[in-house]
Amino acid sequence: MNHPYFNYYESSSLFHGSLLSIMGTRFDILFVIENKVTGEALWDKIQSELIRLDKLFNRFDPESEVSQINAGACLSPFIVSSEMWDILLSCKKYHQQTNGLFDITLQNFNKVLLDHKDKSIMFVDKDLRIDFGGYAKGYAIEKIKGILIENNVQNSFINFGNSSIFGLGKHPYGDCWSIGIEDPYQKGKMLGEYKLKDDAMSTSGNMPSNPKHIVNPFTGVYNEEKKMVSIITKDSVDAEVLSTSLMIAQIEKREEILHHFNTSEIFVYNL
Amino acid sequence: MKKSPSNKNDQLDLGLRKFIKDLGYIAGGSVLLASSPWLQSCTPEKLEEIKGQKARIALIGTGSRGVYHIHNLLNIPHAEIVALCDNYPPNLKTASDLCPKAKTYTDYKKMLESKDIDGVIISTPLNWHAPMVLDSLAAGKHTFCEKAMALTMDECKSIYDTYQKTDKVLYFGMQRLYDEKYVKALQMIHSGLIGDIVGMRCHWFRNNDWRRPVPSPELERKINWRLYKESSAGLMTELGSHQLEVSNWALKRIPDSVIGMGDIVFWKDSREVCDSISLTYHYKNNVKTTYETLISNKFNGMGEQVLGNKGTMELAKGQYFFEDAEPAPAILQLINQVESKAFSAVPIAGPSWVPEIETQHQANYVIKGPISINPGISTTGVDKDGSDELISAFCQASITGEKAKNIVEECYCSTILCLMGNQAIEQQKKIDFPEKYKIPYLNF
Repeated sequence: MNHPYFNYYESSSLFHGSLLSIMGTRFDILFVIENKVTGEALWDKIQSELIRLDKLFNRFDPESEVSQINAGACLSPFIVSSEMWDILLSCKKYHQQTNGLFDITLQNFNKVLLDHKDKSIMFVDKDLRIDFGGYAKGYAIEKIKGILIENNVQNSFINFGNSSIFGLGKHPYGDCWSIGIEDPYQKGKMLGEYKLKDDAMSTSGNMPSNPKHIVNPFTGVYNEEKKMVSIITKDSVDAEVLSTSLMIAQIEKREEILHHFNTSEIFVYNL
Repeated sequence: MKKSPSNKNDQLDLGLRKFIKDLGYIAGGSVLLASSPWLQSCTPEKLEEIKGQKARIALIGTGSRGVYHIHNLLNIPHAEIVALCDNYPPNLKTASDLCPKAKTYTDYKKMLESKDIDGVIISTPLNWHAPMVLDSLAAGKHTFCEKAMALTMDECKSIYDTYQKTDKVLYFGMQRLYDEKYVKALQMIHSGLIGDIVGMRCHWFRNNDWRRPVPSPELERKINWRLYKESSAGLMTELGSHQLEVSNWALKRIPDSVIGMGDIVFWKDSREVCDSISLTYHYKNNVKTTYETLISNKFNGMGEQVLGNKGTMELAKGQYFFEDAEPAPAILQLINQVESKAFSAVPIAGPSWVPEIETQHQANYVIKGPISINPGISTTGVDKDGSDELISAFCQASITGEKAKNIVEECYCSTILCLMGNQAIEQQKKIDFPEKYKIPYLNF
């Protein structure tokens, strides 16, 4: 159950759509649109896209493409859809750009063989699995952004579970979308404010309820630092990949990684 | 009671024993028994003491509820059905087919003369409760009667007064007192789990005409007794009595007044009782219990919500929710901003790993493992709602003669409250708990 919800606020021409359980989290979108009917039609497209992507990425759904890959690519080539092929190539690129810290296998992406001839994937280690947890939300936001622009929406705010945000255009009464970030260890304590204008923001970090969940693919050890990393870039996938990678990167390696990206801003909080 | 000759019947009622055990009862432990004192008379040790003995049970009223009890009784090792009484032949035959060894009667007074009966179970129309309970106690029988207590306040008082003098056991069909999820939830509430109780919302919604098929017109009032004021106090006593009992149990108080309305809104078929009721009960500490029942829309089902300043307990579902799991989503703050033409930073960014829906109002469960929820649709009774434990406890008491604390008082108070609700509806005014019907139980 996605628990879809929407509301149109006539006086401000603001449409709010929400899916309470999608891609492992909650999705909210606000966009300014001339009327409710147009808003609903657009919300339908956005919902369908999210549900489609959930079918691609959800490894708890046995019918999703990622589940089929995990079940079928062990020691034998598994032919993937052309969209998945492009995603895998992009994950490989990110793996290189982050010196191996971004790794959809969470262990060793080098044990994944991608065959360009038939667009197939094969795991050379029988215990290998792939997981798009640190990628999918950014990818989905880029897709939604495309739909919004195609439909001439200029101002929109997209929130994927607070950790993946995109501000398209500006707040109807501001010059950007202004975002505050709270210290997860101290309720109510604000750490900073960011201005998003056609910008993506991704935040990775630990919190009291979830003190360790990001694994270092080289050591297999979960990061347990009281730390949070926020990235602001133009591209949501870049933001997603960077926030996770920089969470575990050694300080001296950060520059080397960032060198590959057009990052606007990075914020590292030691809490 | 008689000793059972057969080893096969030497077993204890494992259902009742498991029920008490599931509640966390430890022999000699006092926490459970202090918070649920009616369970003191049916502890596993006491059940052990009556091993092999059987209560000889007679039933007055073998309609749907009576037959429901028969099915439960047939599974209770310390019970034996010895007599059946009903003045409607088809129902008596149904019951007799289920327990062919039992003697049958059409006159309950005749049956009560029998010396071979330990306990009597009464499942008859409400107007018969008082005369039958009083006659049964007078005949020296331990007595169980379905809820509500009686049709009028005077009758209730008369039963209560008689109970104070009798040495016989008297039970009423307040099965929530024996329903594990209720007993546990109320213990948790009283331990402060959801903070101070600030309100109660009780409701029971169904969508049916509350009628039974009538084979010939002259039987209408006999079969559809629930619909006529001479035999019924309507939805309040049939449904509300359970829920007001729970409200008092939670608050450890009795309301001092009630206001409200009731009407026939949909089932305009010459019935006399309301099909739609909305009442508000007021407690002296200013907490209010709203009571709503409607039988032409079933969307909301049946439920009792205990509202605390720190959380909410959904008793019928065995679930509770904390208030401050998560503040209102920042997205709403942003919408409110845009709506009021304001612009400032919204504290929305942060790491998130779990779906927020789970942290917002996450359900916590009173009982681990499968939980039986009564959808509130059946007019006869459902499995695992405490009715079987209640009947088993009564049978045990029919052997030991040990009264169960509070059951009569709980039923008395909730019935008076139901009848007060009906008065508020009829007189279209606030009704205070009448002084002459106050009893020394709990506080106002």
